[in-house]
Amino acid sequence: MALLELHDVSKAFGGLHVIDHLSLHVDQGEIVSVIGPNGAGKTTVFNLITGIFHVDSGEIVFEGDKISGLAPHRITNRGIARTFQTLRLFLNMTVLENVMAAEYGHTKATFLEAMLQLPRSRREEKRIRKLAEEKLSFFGQRLAGYRHDQPAYSLSYANRRRLEIARAMATNARLLLLDEPAAGMNPHETHEMTELIGKLRDDAGYSILVIEHDMHVVEGISDRVIALDHGIKIAEGLFDEVATHPLVVEAYLGVRAEAEAV
Amino acid sequence: MSSLGGGQPGEGGLPAAAPEPVDAADRSKVGVDEWVARVDERRAARKGLTGLVARGWKRLPAPGRLVVLLGPFAIFPFITNEGNLYRYGLITLIYALLAMGLNVVVGFAGLLDLGYVAFFGFGAYLYGIMASGHSGHHLQAEIAIPIVIVSTALLGLLLGLTSWRLLGDYLAIVTLFFLQAFVIFVNNANGGLNDFSYPFVGKVDLTGGANGLDQIDPFNLFGYHITTTKGYYFFTLISITLLMTMLYFVNGSRTGRAWRALREDPLAAEVMSMPVNRLKLLAFMFGAATAGFSGTIYGAVQSGAFPGDYDVGLLITIYAIVILGGLGSIGGVVIGALVVNGAPELLRSSANARFLFYGVLLLALFVAMRPWYKPVVVLLGTIAFGFAVHGIASQVWSRGTAGHIAGGGRLGRALEHWVLLPSHTSTIAGWAYFALIVSALVLTLVRGWWRALVLIPTLYLAAFVWENKLVEQVSGATRLILLGTLLVVIMNVRPAGIFGTSRVEIV
Amino acid sequence: MNWSLFFGELVSGLTLGSIYALIALGYTMVYGILKLLNFAHGDVYMVGAFIGFFVLQWLGGPLKPVVTGWLAVAIMFAVAMIGCGALGVGIERFAYRPLRNAPRIAPLISALGVSIFLQNSALLLWGPQFRNYDSFDLVGVKSYHIGSNFFISNIQILTISVSIALTIALTLVVSRTRTGKAMRATSFDRDAAEMMGISIDRVISFTFFLGSALAAAGGIMFGLVFGQIFSLMGFTAGLKGFTAAVVGGIGSIPGAVLGGFLIGLTEAFATGYLPGGSVYANLYVFALLIAMFLIRPSGLLGSPVIQKV
Repeated sequence: MALLELHDVSKAFGGLHVIDHLSLHVDQGEIVSVIGPNGAGKTTVFNLITGIFHVDSGEIVFEGDKISGLAPHRITNRGIARTFQTLRLFLNMTVLENVMAAEYGHTKATFLEAMLQLPRSRREEKRIRKLAEEKLSFFGQRLAGYRHDQPAYSLSYANRRRLEIARAMATNARLLLLDEPAAGMNPHETHEMTELIGKLRDDAGYSILVIEHDMHVVEGISDRVIALDHGIKIAEGLFDEVATHPLVVEAYLGVRAEAEAV
Repeated sequence: MSSLGGGQPGEGGLPAAAPEPVDAADRSKVGVDEWVARVDERRAARKGLTGLVARGWKRLPAPGRLVVLLGPFAIFPFITNEGNLYRYGLITLIYALLAMGLNVVVGFAGLLDLGYVAFFGFGAYLYGIMASGHSGHHLQAEIAIPIVIVSTALLGLLLGLTSWRLLGDYLAIVTLFFLQAFVIFVNNANGGLNDFSYPFVGKVDLTGGANGLDQIDPFNLFGYHITTTKGYYFFTLISITLLMTMLYFVNGSRTGRAWRALREDPLAAEVMSMPVNRLKLLAFMFGAATAGFSGTIYGAVQSGAFPGDYDVGLLITIYAIVILGGLGSIGGVVIGALVVNGAPELLRSSANARFLFYGVLLLALFVAMRPWYKPVVVLLGTIAFGFAVHGIASQVWSRGTAGHIAGGGRLGRALEHWVLLPSHTSTIAGWAYFALIVSALVLTLVRGWWRALVLIPTLYLAAFVWENKLVEQVSGATRLILLGTLLVVIMNVRPAGIFGTSRVEIV
Repeated sequence: MNWSLFFGELVSGLTLGSIYALIALGYTMVYGILKLLNFAHGDVYMVGAFIGFFVLQWLGGPLKPVVTGWLAVAIMFAVAMIGCGALGVGIERFAYRPLRNAPRIAPLISALGVSIFLQNSALLLWGPQFRNYDSFDLVGVKSYHIGSNFFISNIQILTISVSIALTIALTLVVSRTRTGKAMRATSFDRDAAEMMGISIDRVISFTFFLGSALAAAGGIMFGLVFGQIFSLMGFTAGLKGFTAAVVGGIGSIPGAVLGGFLIGLTEAFATGYLPGGSVYANLYVFALLIAMFLIRPSGLLGSPVIQKV
């Protein structure tokens, strides 16, 4: 059974059909990349999976349970976490707090317990902190030590991207949705990110669904690639198959280029 | 210091860098990175005396800060008389308590609750219904107060639920309307002509109508009656201390982080497992409960609950306290209450008000214009200008200088020779007011020496308007005018409030 | 069935509703463009009513105006609308524009501050007492009737028709002129509009000008219909005006008008028919607002906002 399944999902905004009868799946331990030209609906797929938008028709199933229609925070509690294409960190909170905040879903201490500093709340705080530091240490020295107490807005761009991933990890998710994780990075940083994504699967056991434009990254990480255009899946398979698929070439470069490519 | 990425020797004619130590590749560069990363912190750290104070404050552990902030309050009752203790002490503390609750709603969770004082009134009235000569019930405080707290929280829950799906702006309107509804209700729920007839019981006098619910019992806490101002003062002080401590703990807990996250970016917070709507509701309820609790104290202190006390005027005062103190800053609220409550008390006598007014003007002048000689020049210019105008006016327009400054003492008499005091003020004061506003706005548009130039007539106009118009209603309309102006100015100059931390905003 | 009561309240409601509609239009336009709740709007309405009053005084007063009654009214409208338009532009320039990129709560509090400032300045300068428009002496109140139950006065006709006329004029400006197109573009996507060469500052100033002018017209009409104005009239009227805008669908011009009439009719019929009538009329409007939020949060004619993530 697949970890995540989309069955015949459609979403329209007014007259614009952004997602049209899309079906896809992600298996346990896989890294699946979603590619496609701008406007293909890739981020919308993420938004549908995480519950920000509701599907018009079709359903989304995670670990056998239907999640389409649930509130976003409940979906996250089920085990799906994401990063954002345009970075949405809590800029005025510290690095550590950003990560600790995301652990809300798997904590239990109530407001009253925190006010009165009852033992359960104190124990949980320690646990939350430890987990956050652990997730941050995944990124080596970059987000370690003194960085923990710095406000997020003081981080460099690449570090912010890493922080967002750490934050998503802190939710104890099993499936990560990474929206253009290497966007805006120089070749060195991109290389590091590619390795990192591999590490996420190999060392930490995540299944990952990635939206990416940089084909080097896609080639380097993917077990499987799905290509979208205008909300429909136009190709699926290994990187080499999809990259040379006529429809994909046409979607990116146009018809004549496709003719020349053949 | 290890070489900062030393270059290749002789590259492109650049001088050769010092040869790197053998183990350079293995040496961690954390020290260097950290120094660079902390540059913003160092820039933000202020120099001189304020810097010293700020650094000392930051290093003080939380209990220490609490003592510093509230210590003076603990000593206050022993160095002042009853009247001052009530006016400057007790009322300040009650307002601070009230503002602290609002701070959670607005400052922590970012919700604009414009009906907040309705919960305050609800607390007072409900306590009165349970323990007053008016209602005939005399519940002990240790029973009545928790009932009030829980009931007010539930009321907050109901109100919050109505705006479950809404943007914060709509909550503002709903809560404002709620306040109106509350005022109408308590004004009419006296079993009289306008009241509803409830099922089973018919018409009931719940609130005493426009006359208020009188004869509210003093607190009867486990048999101990609190009847003196000092008693209530310490009760409130202890309550505030407890509340501040609890809020401090909440701030460092998952709820506190979630509130801050939701203030930053509600969508991201929701996706990062935080149930945003539930958190908003929690903040709202907590604020309401705090207000209800403060209401019981206020009702007991006043021995009554009167509709006029719980209206928009009080709402604005509490908002001013929260904004001045800094949204989200726990301790700042206390300072805000001191300032906002202390000032109007000082404004009660027009002589005091005059000192305050001119004092603040001078202070603003010297703070805003550096170096020191600029405001001095402007000041001298204004004084000269004033005398000139006064002199000319006394020649050509006798009515212009005929008036007097009542009760002004030496300052007043001195001012009589400087400010124009027409004997019939109304229309000219109106136009002067208008001119003053325009002039002040023009001030914000010009720079440099032009600004100094425009300042002179502006200051003179300000004095004119003050002596001829504003001084008339010092504790009424004038106070609110100044408060309104203060709100606008603070938002423009320091949107985070005096003690708030400056925030980076995603645009 | 008491038809004369029914028609009486109907006409009352429509008249009141036209005034609320004019206020609501200002709110809805500003919210549409800036996503700002302009608390000061109700007080601009009040200032408009007072400007009208003072113009009337300057023209000799309602009993002996220098020009004929209706011309005086026209002059009052013109001066107040332009004056308040300028006031609105000034408020935006100094209290809101510097806060365009500040946290959402900052302009709201600034708006609150402006509202307090205006209200209390009026209280200070013009006192709390009621001022008379004395429409009876000014233009003479004539009552027309259809059948034996339907009565409507000339002033009520004036109010409703001026309101509709101004709304039509506004709709034409927004849909047919270039500035109107710029306004619509700005309300959709401010940054994109700016990149297309639209001067955002000018568009926003113009929006405030229009909204404030309409509010001023509403203020004068209130004075004509009810004969009296007072410094604190802006508060509840502003509240109801905003309710009307929200009920009709914030951001929608026809919605604001529809909402205005709905609120006016609710108030009138509640006063006439429901227990506790006039005292609790505001509560019924409040209940209507809550009901609308629960059933259809985007209002009657509004469109749900889609957030791009």
